[in-house]
Amino acid sequence: MTQLDDQPSGPDALAQALTQPFTPGMRDNPASLAEYDDEVAGPAPVSLPDPRTREFVEEWRNASYNCFSSGHKFCREVCPVMQVTRNESWTPTAFHANVVAMEKGELEIADVAADYVNCTQCGACELRCPNTLFTGDFYRFRTRTVDVVKAVRALAVDSGIHQPQWQTWNRRTDERTHEPVLGETDISQEHVRDWADGLDLPIGGETILFVDCEAAFYRTAVPRAVAQILQQAGVEFGLMGEQWCCGGPAAEMGYVDQAKRFARHNLDNWRATGTRRVLVLDPHDYISFTEDYPKYFGEEFDIEVVLVVELVADLIREGRLTPSVPVERTITYHDPCRLNKRKGIWQQPREVLRSIPGLTFHDVDRVTQWSYCSGGGGGLPVEKPELTAAISANRIEKAKTLEVDTLVSACPWSERPLSEAGDGEDIDVVDIHEILAQSLGIEVGGSRGEVGDRRSGCGGGSCGGAGGCGGGEGSAS
Amino acid sequence: MSDDSRLRPYRYAEQTSPPEPQRVSDVAVTTFEHVFEVDPRLMERHVLQQQFPNWDSLRIMSSRHDHLDWMHAHFADSVVTGSELLAEIEAEEDA
Ligand code: SF4
Ligand code: SF4
Repeated sequence: MTQLDDQPSGPDALAQALTQPFTPGMRDNPASLAEYDDEVAGPAPVSLPDPRTREFVEEWRNASYNCFSSGHKFCREVCPVMQVTRNESWTPTAFHANVVAMEKGELEIADVAADYVNCTQCGACELRCPNTLFTGDFYRFRTRTVDVVKAVRALAVDSGIHQPQWQTWNRRTDERTHEPVLGETDISQEHVRDWADGLDLPIGGETILFVDCEAAFYRTAVPRAVAQILQQAGVEFGLMGEQWCCGGPAAEMGYVDQAKRFARHNLDNWRATGTRRVLVLDPHDYISFTEDYPKYFGEEFDIEVVLVVELVADLIREGRLTPSVPVERTITYHDPCRLNKRKGIWQQPREVLRSIPGLTFHDVDRVTQWSYCSGGGGGLPVEKPELTAAISANRIEKAKTLEVDTLVSACPWSERPLSEAGDGEDIDVVDIHEILAQSLGIEVGGSRGEVGDRRSGCGGGSCGGAGGCGGGEGSAS
Repeated sequence: MSDDSRLRPYRYAEQTSPPEPQRVSDVAVTTFEHVFEVDPRLMERHVLQQQFPNWDSLRIMSSRHDHLDWMHAHFADSVVTGSELLAEIEAEEDA
Protein backbone atom coordinates (compact mmCIF):
# COMPACT_ATOMS: atom_id res chain seq x y z
CA MET A 1 0.00 0.00 0.00
CA THR A 2 1.26 3.43 -0.80
CA GLN A 3 1.68 6.02 1.91
CA LEU A 4 1.41 9.54 0.57
CA ASP A 5 0.55 11.84 3.45
CA ASP A 6 1.28 12.00 7.14
CA GLN A 7 -1.60 10.11 8.64
CA PRO A 8 -2.13 8.38 11.99
CA SER A 9 -0.44 5.02 12.31
CA GLY A 10 -0.12 2.27 14.94
CA PRO A 11 -2.34 -0.67 15.91
CA ASP A 12 -5.39 1.45 16.72
CA ALA A 13 -5.24 3.32 13.46
CA LEU A 14 -4.84 0.02 11.59
CA ALA A 15 -7.78 -1.56 13.43
CA GLN A 16 -9.84 1.51 12.58
CA ALA A 17 -8.77 1.41 8.92
CA LEU A 18 -9.72 -2.26 8.65
CA THR A 19 -13.32 -1.56 9.65
CA GLN A 20 -13.92 -0.03 6.21
CA PRO A 21 -13.78 -1.85 2.88
CA PHE A 22 -10.78 -0.77 0.78
CA THR A 23 -9.14 -1.45 -2.56
CA PRO A 24 -5.46 -2.33 -2.25
CA GLY A 25 -3.17 0.10 -3.97
CA MET A 26 -5.42 3.18 -3.95
CA ARG A 27 -3.56 6.34 -3.13
CA ASP A 28 -6.16 7.65 -0.69
CA ASN A 29 -6.13 4.50 1.44
CA PRO A 30 -5.35 5.19 5.12
CA ALA A 31 -1.59 5.09 5.59
CA SER A 32 -1.93 2.63 8.44
CA LEU A 33 -2.93 -0.07 5.94
CA ALA A 34 0.71 -0.19 4.87
CA GLU A 35 1.40 -1.84 8.22
CA TYR A 36 -1.14 -4.56 7.56
CA ASP A 37 0.87 -7.70 7.26
CA ASP A 38 -1.38 -9.95 5.20
CA GLU A 39 -0.55 -13.61 5.04
CA VAL A 40 -1.51 -16.53 2.86
CA ALA A 41 -3.55 -19.17 4.66
CA GLY A 42 -3.70 -22.70 3.32
CA PRO A 43 -2.64 -26.27 3.85
CA ALA A 44 1.02 -26.87 4.58
CA PRO A 45 3.00 -27.64 1.42
CA VAL A 46 3.57 -31.33 0.81
CA SER A 47 7.22 -32.25 0.90
CA LEU A 48 8.12 -33.90 -2.40
CA PRO A 49 10.95 -36.43 -2.26
CA ASP A 50 12.15 -35.94 -5.85
CA PRO A 51 14.23 -32.75 -6.18
CA ARG A 52 13.50 -32.41 -9.92
CA THR A 53 9.76 -32.51 -9.31
CA ARG A 54 10.14 -30.03 -6.45
CA GLU A 55 11.95 -27.59 -8.67
CA PHE A 56 9.45 -28.13 -11.47
CA VAL A 57 6.34 -27.44 -9.36
CA GLU A 58 8.01 -24.44 -7.79
CA GLU A 59 8.49 -22.96 -11.24
CA TRP A 60 5.13 -23.89 -12.77
CA ARG A 61 2.67 -23.86 -9.87
CA ASN A 62 1.44 -20.32 -10.38
CA ALA A 63 0.96 -20.78 -14.11
CA SER A 64 -0.99 -23.95 -13.38
CA TYR A 65 -3.13 -22.57 -10.56
CA ASN A 66 -3.98 -19.70 -12.91
CA CYS A 67 -5.94 -22.27 -14.92
CA PHE A 68 -6.93 -24.63 -12.11
CA SER A 69 -8.58 -21.87 -10.09
CA SER A 70 -10.50 -20.69 -13.17
CA GLY A 71 -11.20 -23.88 -15.05
CA HIS A 72 -13.75 -22.29 -17.36
CA LYS A 73 -12.67 -24.39 -20.33
CA PHE A 74 -13.03 -21.80 -23.05
CA CYS A 75 -9.94 -23.55 -24.39
CA ARG A 76 -11.73 -26.83 -24.92
CA GLU A 77 -13.27 -26.50 -28.35
CA VAL A 78 -10.38 -24.61 -29.90
CA CYS A 79 -7.97 -27.42 -28.99
CA PRO A 80 -7.35 -29.52 -32.12
CA VAL A 81 -6.52 -32.64 -30.11
CA MET A 82 -9.68 -32.35 -28.05
CA GLN A 83 -11.72 -31.92 -31.23
CA VAL A 84 -10.66 -35.29 -32.61
CA THR A 85 -10.23 -37.34 -29.42
CA ARG A 86 -12.69 -35.98 -26.81
CA ASN A 87 -10.22 -37.31 -24.26
CA GLU A 88 -10.46 -35.31 -21.03
CA SER A 89 -6.93 -36.24 -20.03
CA TRP A 90 -5.61 -34.52 -23.14
CA THR A 91 -6.98 -31.04 -22.59
CA PRO A 92 -5.27 -27.82 -21.55
CA THR A 93 -7.28 -27.96 -18.32
CA ALA A 94 -5.91 -31.41 -17.49
CA PHE A 95 -2.38 -30.36 -18.42
CA HIS A 96 -2.55 -27.66 -15.74
CA ALA A 97 -4.50 -29.68 -13.17
CA ASN A 98 -1.87 -32.42 -13.26
CA VAL A 99 0.78 -29.96 -12.13
CA VAL A 100 -1.40 -28.97 -9.20
CA ALA A 101 -1.81 -32.65 -8.36
CA MET A 102 1.94 -33.15 -8.60
CA GLU A 103 2.46 -30.29 -6.19
CA LYS A 104 0.12 -32.04 -3.77
CA GLY A 105 2.03 -35.29 -4.16
CA GLU A 106 -1.00 -36.98 -5.71
CA LEU A 107 0.68 -37.69 -9.05
CA GLU A 108 4.17 -38.39 -10.31
CA ILE A 109 5.64 -37.55 -13.66
CA ALA A 110 5.60 -41.22 -14.68
CA ASP A 111 1.80 -41.26 -14.25
CA VAL A 112 1.15 -38.49 -16.75
CA ALA A 113 4.16 -38.12 -19.08
CA ALA A 114 2.45 -39.97 -21.93
CA ASP A 115 -0.63 -37.73 -21.77
CA TYR A 116 1.48 -34.71 -22.63
CA VAL A 117 2.32 -36.15 -26.04
CA ASN A 118 -1.17 -35.11 -27.11
CA CYS A 119 -0.53 -31.46 -27.82
CA THR A 120 0.58 -29.74 -31.03
CA GLN A 121 1.68 -26.63 -29.11
CA CYS A 122 -0.59 -24.65 -31.42
CA GLY A 123 -1.27 -22.00 -28.78
CA ALA A 124 -5.05 -21.89 -29.33
CA CYS A 125 -5.88 -22.63 -25.71
CA GLU A 126 -3.48 -20.01 -24.43
CA LEU A 127 -4.89 -17.29 -26.62
CA ARG A 128 -8.59 -18.16 -26.22
CA CYS A 129 -8.25 -18.50 -22.47
CA PRO A 130 -9.78 -15.37 -20.88
CA ASN A 131 -6.77 -15.26 -18.57
CA THR A 132 -4.77 -14.37 -21.66
CA LEU A 133 -7.25 -12.75 -24.02
CA PHE A 134 -8.94 -10.46 -21.52
CA THR A 135 -6.42 -9.98 -18.75
CA GLY A 136 -3.04 -11.41 -19.83
CA ASP A 137 -1.54 -8.15 -21.08
CA PHE A 138 -3.02 -6.24 -18.11
CA TYR A 139 -1.41 -8.40 -15.44
CA ARG A 140 1.62 -9.41 -17.51
CA PHE A 141 0.56 -12.87 -16.52
CA ARG A 142 -1.06 -15.15 -19.03
CA THR A 143 -1.93 -18.79 -19.60
CA ARG A 144 1.16 -20.75 -20.61
CA THR A 145 -0.04 -24.16 -21.74
CA VAL A 146 2.71 -24.49 -24.34
CA ASP A 147 5.43 -23.72 -21.81
CA VAL A 148 3.84 -26.02 -19.25
CA VAL A 149 3.63 -28.86 -21.79
CA LYS A 150 7.25 -28.30 -22.80
CA ALA A 151 8.33 -28.22 -19.15
CA VAL A 152 6.49 -31.45 -18.30
CA ARG A 153 8.05 -33.16 -21.31
CA ALA A 154 11.47 -31.92 -20.20
CA LEU A 155 10.86 -33.18 -16.67
CA ALA A 156 9.96 -36.57 -18.13
CA VAL A 157 13.13 -36.75 -20.25
CA ASP A 158 15.29 -35.60 -17.33
CA SER A 159 13.64 -38.30 -15.21
CA GLY A 160 14.52 -40.96 -17.78
CA ILE A 161 10.97 -41.35 -19.11
CA HIS A 162 11.08 -41.37 -22.90
CA GLN A 163 8.46 -41.68 -25.62
CA PRO A 164 9.98 -44.23 -28.00
CA GLN A 165 9.57 -42.35 -31.29
CA TRP A 166 10.70 -39.04 -29.84
CA GLN A 167 13.76 -40.66 -28.34
CA THR A 168 14.76 -42.16 -31.71
CA TRP A 169 13.96 -38.93 -33.57
CA ASN A 170 16.12 -36.82 -31.30
CA ARG A 171 18.97 -39.32 -31.23
CA ARG A 172 19.05 -39.33 -35.01
CA THR A 173 18.80 -35.53 -35.11
CA ASP A 174 21.74 -35.37 -32.74
CA GLU A 175 23.79 -37.72 -34.93
CA ARG A 176 22.93 -36.00 -38.21
CA THR A 177 22.52 -32.37 -37.04
CA HIS A 178 19.17 -32.38 -38.87
CA GLU A 179 15.82 -34.01 -38.24
CA PRO A 180 15.31 -37.36 -39.96
CA VAL A 181 12.52 -36.01 -42.16
CA LEU A 182 13.22 -38.51 -44.95
CA GLY A 183 12.54 -41.53 -42.78
CA GLU A 184 15.09 -44.25 -43.40
CA THR A 185 16.90 -42.20 -46.04
CA ASP A 186 19.84 -40.59 -44.29
CA ILE A 187 20.26 -36.87 -44.40
CA SER A 188 23.44 -35.08 -43.58
CA GLN A 189 25.29 -31.84 -43.36
CA GLU A 190 26.73 -32.24 -46.87
CA HIS A 191 23.24 -32.15 -48.34
CA VAL A 192 21.61 -29.37 -46.35
CA ARG A 193 22.12 -26.92 -49.21
CA ASP A 194 21.23 -29.28 -52.05
CA TRP A 195 17.84 -27.60 -52.42
CA ALA A 196 19.63 -24.49 -53.67
CA ASP A 197 21.34 -26.22 -56.60
CA GLY A 198 21.75 -23.85 -59.52
CA LEU A 199 20.59 -20.75 -57.62
CA ASP A 200 24.08 -19.37 -57.14
CA LEU A 201 23.67 -18.29 -53.52
CA PRO A 202 26.71 -17.17 -51.52
CA ILE A 203 27.60 -18.54 -48.08
CA GLY A 204 27.37 -16.28 -45.05
CA GLY A 205 27.20 -12.50 -45.15
CA GLU A 206 25.24 -9.94 -43.16
CA THR A 207 21.89 -11.52 -44.03
CA ILE A 208 21.30 -15.25 -44.34
CA LEU A 209 18.27 -17.39 -45.14
CA PHE A 210 17.62 -20.14 -42.60
CA VAL A 211 15.77 -23.16 -44.02
CA ASP A 212 14.10 -25.66 -41.70
CA CYS A 213 14.81 -29.38 -42.01
CA GLU A 214 11.44 -30.26 -43.59
CA ALA A 215 11.86 -27.62 -46.32
CA ALA A 216 15.58 -28.22 -46.86
CA PHE A 217 15.19 -31.96 -47.39
CA TYR A 218 11.55 -32.73 -48.16
CA ARG A 219 9.54 -29.79 -49.53
CA THR A 220 12.43 -28.18 -51.38
CA ALA A 221 10.12 -26.15 -53.62
CA VAL A 222 9.47 -23.82 -50.68
CA PRO A 223 13.05 -22.61 -50.09
CA ARG A 224 13.64 -22.51 -53.85
CA ALA A 225 10.58 -20.29 -54.25
CA VAL A 226 11.65 -18.04 -51.37
CA ALA A 227 15.22 -17.68 -52.60
CA GLN A 228 14.15 -16.81 -56.13
CA ILE A 229 11.49 -14.35 -54.96
CA LEU A 230 14.09 -12.54 -52.86
CA GLN A 231 16.56 -12.58 -55.76
CA GLN A 232 13.92 -11.07 -58.04
CA ALA A 233 13.35 -8.27 -55.52
CA GLY A 234 17.08 -7.61 -55.29
CA VAL A 235 17.39 -8.65 -51.63
CA GLU A 236 20.97 -9.67 -50.83
CA PHE A 237 21.37 -12.78 -48.72
CA GLY A 238 23.46 -15.89 -48.34
CA LEU A 239 23.10 -19.36 -46.86
CA MET A 240 24.39 -20.41 -43.49
CA GLY A 241 27.97 -21.61 -43.17
CA GLU A 242 27.12 -24.78 -41.29
CA GLN A 243 23.43 -24.93 -40.59
CA TRP A 244 22.13 -27.29 -37.95
CA CYS A 245 18.50 -27.90 -37.02
CA CYS A 246 17.25 -24.86 -35.06
CA GLY A 247 16.79 -27.11 -32.02
CA GLY A 248 13.14 -26.13 -31.64
CA PRO A 249 11.67 -29.61 -32.13
CA ALA A 250 14.03 -31.06 -29.52
CA ALA A 251 12.92 -28.35 -27.09
CA GLU A 252 9.29 -29.10 -27.90
CA MET A 253 9.76 -32.80 -27.14
CA GLY A 254 11.64 -32.20 -23.89
CA TYR A 255 15.25 -32.68 -25.05
CA VAL A 256 16.29 -29.26 -23.82
CA ASP A 257 20.05 -29.82 -23.47
CA GLN A 258 20.21 -30.94 -27.07
CA ALA A 259 18.12 -27.95 -28.17
CA LYS A 260 20.50 -25.58 -26.39
CA ARG A 261 23.56 -27.22 -27.94
CA PHE A 262 22.07 -26.79 -31.40
CA ALA A 263 21.13 -23.19 -30.69
CA ARG A 264 24.66 -22.46 -29.47
CA HIS A 265 26.11 -23.92 -32.62
CA ASN A 266 23.89 -21.83 -34.86
CA LEU A 267 24.53 -18.59 -33.01
CA ASP A 268 28.31 -19.19 -33.07
CA ASN A 269 28.12 -20.01 -36.75
CA TRP A 270 26.29 -16.76 -37.52
CA ARG A 271 29.00 -14.89 -35.64
CA ALA A 272 31.70 -16.70 -37.62
CA THR A 273 30.23 -15.56 -40.95
CA GLY A 274 29.51 -11.98 -39.83
CA THR A 275 25.76 -12.53 -39.91
CA ARG A 276 23.54 -9.90 -38.28
CA ARG A 277 20.15 -10.77 -39.76
CA VAL A 278 18.39 -14.10 -40.25
CA LEU A 279 15.53 -14.47 -42.72
CA VAL A 280 13.17 -17.24 -41.67
CA LEU A 281 10.64 -18.93 -43.91
CA ASP A 282 9.31 -21.46 -41.42
CA PRO A 283 7.00 -20.42 -38.54
CA HIS A 284 8.49 -23.07 -36.24
CA ASP A 285 11.99 -21.67 -36.69
CA TYR A 286 10.56 -18.21 -36.17
CA ILE A 287 9.29 -19.33 -32.76
CA SER A 288 12.67 -20.88 -31.90
CA PHE A 289 14.58 -17.74 -32.82
CA THR A 290 12.21 -15.24 -31.21
CA GLU A 291 11.26 -17.22 -28.09
CA ASP A 292 13.75 -20.01 -27.32
CA TYR A 293 17.02 -18.35 -28.36
CA PRO A 294 16.26 -15.14 -26.41
CA LYS A 295 15.59 -17.30 -23.33
CA TYR A 296 18.85 -19.23 -23.79
CA PHE A 297 21.10 -16.29 -24.58
CA GLY A 298 19.45 -13.15 -23.16
CA GLU A 299 21.14 -9.94 -24.30
CA GLU A 300 23.80 -11.89 -26.14
CA PHE A 301 21.15 -12.67 -28.75
CA ASP A 302 21.54 -9.54 -30.87
CA ILE A 303 20.61 -11.13 -34.19
CA GLU A 304 17.73 -9.55 -36.10
CA VAL A 305 15.07 -12.07 -37.10
CA VAL A 306 12.83 -11.40 -40.11
CA LEU A 307 9.90 -13.55 -41.14
CA VAL A 308 9.99 -13.98 -44.92
CA VAL A 309 6.24 -13.68 -45.50
CA GLU A 310 6.26 -10.30 -43.73
CA LEU A 311 9.24 -9.19 -45.79
CA VAL A 312 7.60 -10.32 -49.01
CA ALA A 313 4.37 -8.43 -48.20
CA ASP A 314 6.53 -5.37 -47.66
CA LEU A 315 8.34 -5.84 -50.97
CA ILE A 316 5.00 -6.09 -52.79
CA ARG A 317 3.75 -2.95 -51.06
CA GLU A 318 6.92 -1.10 -52.07
CA GLY A 319 6.51 -2.20 -55.68
CA ARG A 320 9.71 -4.26 -55.64
CA LEU A 321 7.69 -7.37 -56.48
CA THR A 322 4.70 -7.36 -58.81
CA PRO A 323 2.85 -10.64 -59.24
CA SER A 324 1.47 -10.56 -62.76
CA VAL A 325 1.08 -14.11 -64.06
CA PRO A 326 -2.55 -15.12 -63.34
CA VAL A 327 -2.93 -18.22 -61.19
CA GLU A 328 -6.34 -19.70 -61.91
CA ARG A 329 -7.11 -21.47 -58.67
CA THR A 330 -9.89 -21.26 -56.12
CA ILE A 331 -8.15 -21.12 -52.79
CA THR A 332 -8.55 -20.72 -49.10
CA TYR A 333 -5.73 -19.89 -46.70
CA HIS A 334 -4.66 -21.99 -43.73
CA ASP A 335 -3.44 -19.76 -40.91
CA PRO A 336 -0.42 -21.61 -39.49
CA CYS A 337 -0.88 -21.85 -35.71
CA ARG A 338 2.54 -20.46 -34.95
CA LEU A 339 1.88 -17.35 -37.01
CA ASN A 340 -1.77 -16.64 -36.32
CA LYS A 341 -2.27 -17.75 -32.74
CA ARG A 342 1.19 -17.66 -31.29
CA LYS A 343 2.45 -14.51 -33.02
CA GLY A 344 -0.62 -12.63 -34.23
CA ILE A 345 0.64 -12.67 -37.82
CA TRP A 346 -2.26 -13.12 -40.22
CA GLN A 347 -2.57 -9.95 -42.29
CA GLN A 348 0.59 -10.17 -44.39
CA PRO A 349 -0.13 -13.60 -45.90
CA ARG A 350 -3.58 -12.39 -46.95
CA GLU A 351 -2.02 -9.27 -48.44
CA VAL A 352 0.33 -11.46 -50.48
CA LEU A 353 -2.51 -13.68 -51.70
CA ARG A 354 -4.69 -10.71 -52.64
CA SER A 355 -1.88 -9.36 -54.82
CA ILE A 356 -1.87 -12.47 -57.02
CA PRO A 357 -4.03 -12.11 -60.15
CA GLY A 358 -6.36 -14.92 -61.14
CA LEU A 359 -6.95 -16.32 -57.65
CA THR A 360 -10.47 -16.73 -56.32
CA PHE A 361 -9.96 -16.41 -52.58
CA HIS A 362 -12.51 -17.78 -50.11
CA ASP A 363 -11.07 -16.51 -46.87
CA VAL A 364 -11.89 -17.68 -43.37
CA ASP A 365 -11.13 -15.05 -40.75
CA ARG A 366 -8.25 -15.44 -38.32
CA VAL A 367 -10.41 -15.72 -35.20
CA THR A 368 -12.44 -18.62 -36.61
CA GLN A 369 -9.10 -20.20 -37.48
CA TRP A 370 -7.95 -20.19 -33.86
CA SER A 371 -9.58 -23.61 -33.73
CA TYR A 372 -7.92 -24.84 -36.95
CA CYS A 373 -4.66 -26.79 -36.97
CA SER A 374 -2.85 -29.21 -39.27
CA GLY A 375 -1.73 -31.41 -36.38
CA GLY A 376 1.85 -31.14 -37.68
CA GLY A 377 3.46 -29.43 -34.68
CA GLY A 378 4.83 -30.21 -31.25
CA GLY A 379 6.22 -33.60 -32.27
CA LEU A 380 2.73 -35.07 -32.60
CA PRO A 381 3.31 -36.56 -36.09
CA VAL A 382 6.41 -38.31 -34.81
CA GLU A 383 4.76 -40.07 -31.88
CA LYS A 384 1.10 -40.14 -32.93
CA PRO A 385 0.83 -39.87 -36.73
CA GLU A 386 -2.76 -41.11 -36.60
CA LEU A 387 -3.77 -38.08 -34.53
CA THR A 388 -2.00 -35.70 -36.88
CA ALA A 389 -3.83 -37.34 -39.78
CA ALA A 390 -7.19 -36.94 -38.03
CA ILE A 391 -6.52 -33.25 -37.29
CA SER A 392 -5.42 -32.64 -40.89
CA ALA A 393 -8.52 -34.42 -42.18
CA ASN A 394 -10.61 -32.13 -39.98
CA ARG A 395 -8.88 -29.08 -41.46
CA ILE A 396 -9.35 -30.28 -45.03
CA GLU A 397 -13.03 -30.95 -44.27
CA LYS A 398 -13.41 -27.26 -43.41
CA ALA A 399 -11.73 -26.25 -46.67
CA LYS A 400 -13.97 -28.61 -48.62
CA THR A 401 -17.14 -26.81 -47.54
CA LEU A 402 -15.77 -23.71 -49.30
CA GLU A 403 -15.57 -25.60 -52.61
CA VAL A 404 -11.94 -24.71 -53.20
CA ASP A 405 -9.41 -26.68 -55.22
CA THR A 406 -6.40 -25.43 -53.26
CA LEU A 407 -5.46 -24.88 -49.64
CA VAL A 408 -2.59 -22.43 -49.30
CA SER A 409 -0.42 -22.65 -46.20
CA ALA A 410 2.63 -20.77 -45.01
CA CYS A 411 4.20 -23.52 -42.92
CA PRO A 412 6.19 -26.39 -44.47
CA TRP A 413 5.50 -28.63 -41.45
CA SER A 414 1.76 -28.38 -42.03
CA GLU A 415 2.02 -29.07 -45.73
CA ARG A 416 2.93 -32.75 -45.60
CA PRO A 417 -0.03 -33.91 -43.44
CA LEU A 418 -2.42 -31.48 -45.12
CA SER A 419 -1.33 -32.68 -48.58
CA GLU A 420 -1.94 -36.28 -47.56
CA ALA A 421 -5.40 -35.45 -46.17
CA GLY A 422 -6.21 -33.19 -49.13
CA ASP A 423 -5.34 -35.80 -51.71
CA GLY A 424 -8.43 -37.89 -50.97
CA GLU A 425 -10.64 -34.81 -51.31
CA ASP A 426 -8.91 -33.54 -54.45
CA ILE A 427 -7.63 -30.46 -52.64
CA ASP A 428 -4.09 -29.47 -53.52
CA VAL A 429 -1.94 -27.99 -50.76
CA VAL A 430 0.42 -25.26 -51.87
CA ASP A 431 2.84 -23.09 -49.98
CA ILE A 432 2.22 -19.35 -50.20
CA HIS A 433 5.76 -18.75 -51.46
CA GLU A 434 5.34 -21.39 -54.17
CA ILE A 435 2.14 -19.80 -55.47
CA LEU A 436 3.61 -16.29 -55.30
CA ALA A 437 6.67 -17.42 -57.22
CA GLN A 438 4.41 -18.84 -59.90
CA SER A 439 2.68 -15.48 -60.25
CA LEU A 440 6.08 -13.78 -60.46
CA GLY A 441 6.91 -15.99 -63.45
CA ILE A 442 9.51 -18.01 -61.58
CA GLU A 443 10.12 -21.63 -62.50
CA VAL A 444 10.63 -22.91 -58.98
CA GLY A 445 11.89 -26.47 -59.38
CA GLY A 446 12.47 -28.72 -56.38
CA SER A 447 9.95 -31.03 -54.80
CA ARG A 448 6.51 -30.37 -53.32
CA GLY A 449 6.72 -33.67 -51.44
CA GLU A 450 5.35 -37.03 -52.43
CA VAL A 451 1.71 -36.03 -52.82
CA GLY A 452 2.42 -32.59 -54.27
CA ASP A 453 4.76 -33.94 -56.94
CA ARG A 454 2.28 -36.64 -57.94
CA ARG A 455 -0.53 -34.10 -58.21
CA SER A 456 1.59 -31.64 -60.17
CA GLY A 457 2.81 -34.38 -62.44
CA CYS A 458 -0.68 -35.51 -63.36
CA GLY A 459 -2.16 -32.04 -63.43
CA GLY A 460 -3.95 -32.70 -60.18
CA GLY A 461 -4.17 -29.01 -59.44
CA SER A 462 -5.48 -26.50 -61.87
CA CYS A 463 -2.14 -24.79 -62.37
CA GLY A 464 -1.06 -26.92 -65.26
CA GLY A 465 2.46 -26.49 -63.98
CA ALA A 466 5.29 -28.89 -64.48
CA GLY A 467 6.00 -29.62 -60.84
CA GLY A 468 7.20 -27.37 -58.09
CA CYS A 469 4.10 -25.29 -58.62
CA GLY A 470 6.09 -22.77 -60.56
CA GLY A 471 6.12 -23.98 -64.08
CA GLY A 472 2.81 -22.63 -65.28
CA GLU A 473 2.21 -20.54 -68.37
CA GLY A 474 4.30 -17.44 -68.63
CA SER A 475 7.20 -18.96 -66.74
CA ALA A 476 10.49 -17.21 -67.06
CA SER A 477 13.42 -17.76 -64.81
CA MET B 1 -9.76 -5.33 -37.16
CA SER B 2 -6.43 -4.15 -35.83
CA ASP B 3 -3.73 -2.99 -38.20
CA ASP B 4 -0.36 -4.46 -37.37
CA SER B 5 0.66 -5.37 -40.87
CA ARG B 6 3.95 -3.49 -41.01
CA LEU B 7 7.26 -5.36 -41.14
CA ARG B 8 8.44 -5.99 -37.61
CA PRO B 9 11.90 -7.53 -37.43
CA TYR B 10 12.54 -9.13 -34.06
CA ARG B 11 15.27 -7.43 -32.06
CA TYR B 12 15.91 -8.53 -28.50
CA ALA B 13 16.82 -5.09 -27.17
CA GLU B 14 13.67 -3.53 -28.61
CA GLN B 15 11.40 -6.30 -27.39
CA THR B 16 12.62 -5.98 -23.82
CA SER B 17 12.20 -2.20 -23.63
CA PRO B 18 8.55 -1.17 -23.56
CA PRO B 19 7.66 2.52 -23.73
CA GLU B 20 7.95 4.48 -20.48
CA PRO B 21 4.70 3.71 -18.59
CA GLN B 22 2.25 6.57 -18.08
CA ARG B 23 0.01 6.49 -15.01
CA VAL B 24 -3.69 6.36 -15.82
CA SER B 25 -5.08 5.63 -12.34
CA ASP B 26 -3.94 4.68 -8.86
CA VAL B 27 -3.58 1.08 -9.91
CA ALA B 28 -2.94 1.13 -13.66
CA VAL B 29 -0.44 2.39 -16.20
CA THR B 30 -0.39 2.47 -19.98
CA THR B 31 2.53 1.67 -22.28
CA PHE B 32 1.57 1.15 -25.94
CA GLU B 33 -1.63 2.62 -27.32
CA HIS B 34 -4.55 0.49 -26.03
CA VAL B 35 -2.27 -1.49 -23.68
CA PHE B 36 -3.10 -0.96 -20.01
CA GLU B 37 -1.24 -2.72 -17.24
CA VAL B 38 -1.67 -3.13 -13.54
CA ASP B 39 0.79 -1.05 -11.55
CA PRO B 40 3.66 -3.54 -11.15
CA ARG B 41 4.06 -2.65 -7.45
CA LEU B 42 0.80 -4.58 -6.85
CA MET B 43 2.32 -7.79 -8.20
CA GLU B 44 5.46 -8.03 -6.17
CA ARG B 45 4.19 -10.68 -3.76
CA HIS B 46 2.35 -13.99 -4.10
CA VAL B 47 2.11 -13.94 -7.89
CA LEU B 48 4.98 -12.33 -9.73
CA GLN B 49 4.65 -10.95 -13.24
CA GLN B 50 5.98 -12.98 -16.14
CA GLN B 51 8.55 -11.91 -18.72
CA PHE B 52 6.53 -10.16 -21.42
CA PRO B 53 8.27 -9.12 -24.62
CA ASN B 54 6.51 -6.25 -26.38
CA TRP B 55 5.20 -8.44 -29.17
CA ASP B 56 3.25 -10.52 -26.67
CA SER B 57 1.43 -7.58 -25.06
CA LEU B 58 0.59 -6.25 -28.51
CA ARG B 59 -0.51 -9.66 -29.77
CA ILE B 60 -2.91 -10.13 -26.89
CA MET B 61 -4.31 -6.61 -27.15
CA SER B 62 -4.85 -6.94 -30.93
CA SER B 63 -6.31 -10.43 -30.58
CA ARG B 64 -8.78 -9.17 -27.99
CA HIS B 65 -9.98 -6.47 -30.36
CA ASP B 66 -10.22 -8.98 -33.20
CA HIS B 67 -12.13 -11.37 -30.97
CA LEU B 68 -14.59 -8.72 -29.82
CA ASP B 69 -15.17 -7.68 -33.45
CA TRP B 70 -15.68 -11.33 -34.30
CA MET B 71 -18.17 -11.80 -31.45
CA HIS B 72 -20.10 -8.73 -32.55
CA ALA B 73 -20.11 -9.91 -36.15
CA HIS B 74 -21.33 -13.36 -35.20
CA PHE B 75 -23.65 -12.84 -32.29
CA ALA B 76 -24.76 -9.23 -32.04
CA ASP B 77 -27.26 -7.48 -34.28
CA SER B 78 -26.43 -4.20 -32.62
CA VAL B 79 -24.23 -2.84 -29.86
CA VAL B 80 -26.00 -1.00 -27.04
CA THR B 81 -24.16 1.16 -24.55
CA GLY B 82 -24.78 0.84 -20.83
CA SER B 83 -26.01 4.43 -20.65
CA GLU B 84 -28.66 3.71 -23.28
CA LEU B 85 -29.87 0.74 -21.26
CA LEU B 86 -30.03 2.79 -18.07
CA ALA B 87 -31.92 5.53 -19.87
CA GLU B 88 -34.38 2.95 -21.11
CA ILE B 89 -34.91 1.57 -17.59
CA GLU B 90 -35.33 5.05 -16.16
CA ALA B 91 -37.82 5.91 -18.87
CA GLU B 92 -39.78 2.77 -18.00
CA GLU B 93 -39.73 3.63 -14.31
CA ASP B 94 -40.92 7.15 -15.02
CA ALA B 95 -43.73 5.90 -17.21
S1 SF4 C 1 -6.68 -22.90 -20.00
FE1 SF4 C 1 -7.86 -21.08 -19.59
S2 SF4 C 1 -9.85 -21.42 -20.61
FE2 SF4 C 1 -8.86 -23.41 -20.36
S3 SF4 C 1 -9.69 -24.19 -18.43
FE3 SF4 C 1 -7.71 -23.22 -18.00
S4 SF4 C 1 -8.27 -21.15 -17.38
FE4 SF4 C 1 -10.05 -21.99 -18.44
S1 SF4 D 1 -1.48 -25.85 -27.41
FE1 SF4 D 1 -3.06 -26.48 -28.91
S2 SF4 D 1 -2.96 -28.73 -28.94
FE2 SF4 D 1 -1.89 -28.06 -27.06
S3 SF4 D 1 -3.45 -28.12 -25.46
FE3 SF4 D 1 -3.42 -26.03 -26.31
S4 SF4 D 1 -5.01 -26.02 -27.91
FE4 SF4 D 1 -4.54 -28.17 -27.43
